[in-house]
Amino acid sequence: MSDLVKLAVDREACIGVGQCELLEPEVFRLDDDDELAEVIGEGALPRDRAEVVVDKCPSGAITIVED
Amino acid sequence: MRETPGLVWHPYPARAAGVAEGDQERGRQGKGGGFWAVTRHADVKEMSKAPEIYSSGIGHSNLWDLEADALEARRSIIDTDAPDHTRLRRLVSKAFTPRNIRKWEETTRQIAVELLDEFEAAGGGDWVDMVAAPLPIRVILSILGVPVEDADFLVEISNYLVEGTSDRPSLPDDAYGNTTPVHLLPFGSPASHALYEYAEKIGAQRRAEPKDDLVTLLVEAEEDGDRLSTSEYRNFFHVLVFAGNETTRTALTHGAMAFAENPGEWQRLLDDPELLERATDEVLRWATPVLHMRRTAACDTELAGTAISEGDKVVMWYCSANRDEAVFDDPYRFDIGREDNQHFAFGGGGPHFCLGAFLARMEISVLFDEMRKRGMRLEQRSEAVRAPSNFVHGVLSVEMGVSR
Repeated sequence: MSDLVKLAVDREACIGVGQCELLEPEVFRLDDDDELAEVIGEGALPRDRAEVVVDKCPSGAITIVED
Repeated sequence: MRETPGLVWHPYPARAAGVAEGDQERGRQGKGGGFWAVTRHADVKEMSKAPEIYSSGIGHSNLWDLEADALEARRSIIDTDAPDHTRLRRLVSKAFTPRNIRKWEETTRQIAVELLDEFEAAGGGDWVDMVAAPLPIRVILSILGVPVEDADFLVEISNYLVEGTSDRPSLPDDAYGNTTPVHLLPFGSPASHALYEYAEKIGAQRRAEPKDDLVTLLVEAEEDGDRLSTSEYRNFFHVLVFAGNETTRTALTHGAMAFAENPGEWQRLLDDPELLERATDEVLRWATPVLHMRRTAACDTELAGTAISEGDKVVMWYCSANRDEAVFDDPYRFDIGREDNQHFAFGGGGPHFCLGAFLARMEISVLFDEMRKRGMRLEQRSEAVRAPSNFVHGVLSVEMGVSR
């Protein structure tokens, strides 16, 4: 069981592929205007799942927010 | 265990008269000249995530060199860097998100069922002509919003475009009424002229009568003036038609051949439908429809411990990365059970990650799912006729027999 970490999306790097929403729809959503990703809900995931979504984003737009 | 080389310099012989054979003068965008062959998975990934170093715009994205006027005339989204690339990508990315592509799943299934019914009724035949080519073309046409009666014409055109990526094109330069010097046309093919004309015709129709489709999205962007130029629109249309049909056709064909050759793997899917998603990724890894993409070093840099000079051609060989034994156990085995399949059929990542990735995945999984549902089995009856191309892993035809 890993700690919860917060996630952020760099909207300049985002190209709207939607892999994040596909993997973690409670945390990521492509917004209706620009169809770019935004963090929604609690905006947090267990670290191991966070690392998967960070890795799967093809443009590397997602990061874990380390306090 | 074979050792995969890091970077290998290929002295690509120059094609134009007057340039000495083996001329490897670097930093010049002339005809011919050598290139760095990047063959390992990790190195392809590193390059893909550093577009500011490995430019798609400087020399375009194919292995061969183009003259300056051809570079401009033929430039599409694939051959641009930020910020133009970002602008072009954002224009259409909405249409290709999982959420929006899912809307086409029902249509895709209907097309798949129809094609498979006909294939079975005929007792088999050329898999490419009867199933693998028509499926993706009809789906991309639905998304673009262009008439299905034009499907055959567009398949014919894209076959000639593939031919244009080889050294042996069969079309005369004035085919389809073309008068443009062919070096200014994508893939140096007069078939591109035909596709441009078609794009303009459809574009004009949508400007007159807008619909809720992708062509309308593109032409409305064009009308905003500063969004899409005429050249950008028609090259975009060209990319969507070519990439949206030729590549998926290739995946569906290599996938069918792999299952015919490995009936044990097909049985695994029949026994466990949950394997469908992993099977789709293994088909993609196996097929690697796009064999390479080229980048040009925007500055001096280093990769795999090798010094690269500004202006060098650096070529990512996805076919090699997809057989990298450091990443894939027993890479030459077709195994639909692979977990976390990190293939590069859609590229190595970064901003040029395949726009159609989710669409391709959807089409491939729907087709094999429909085959699985009816317990259909394939048997290869002829040698595959391969496309003479180092860019696409194309198969022009292959005879398959069918049973249940």
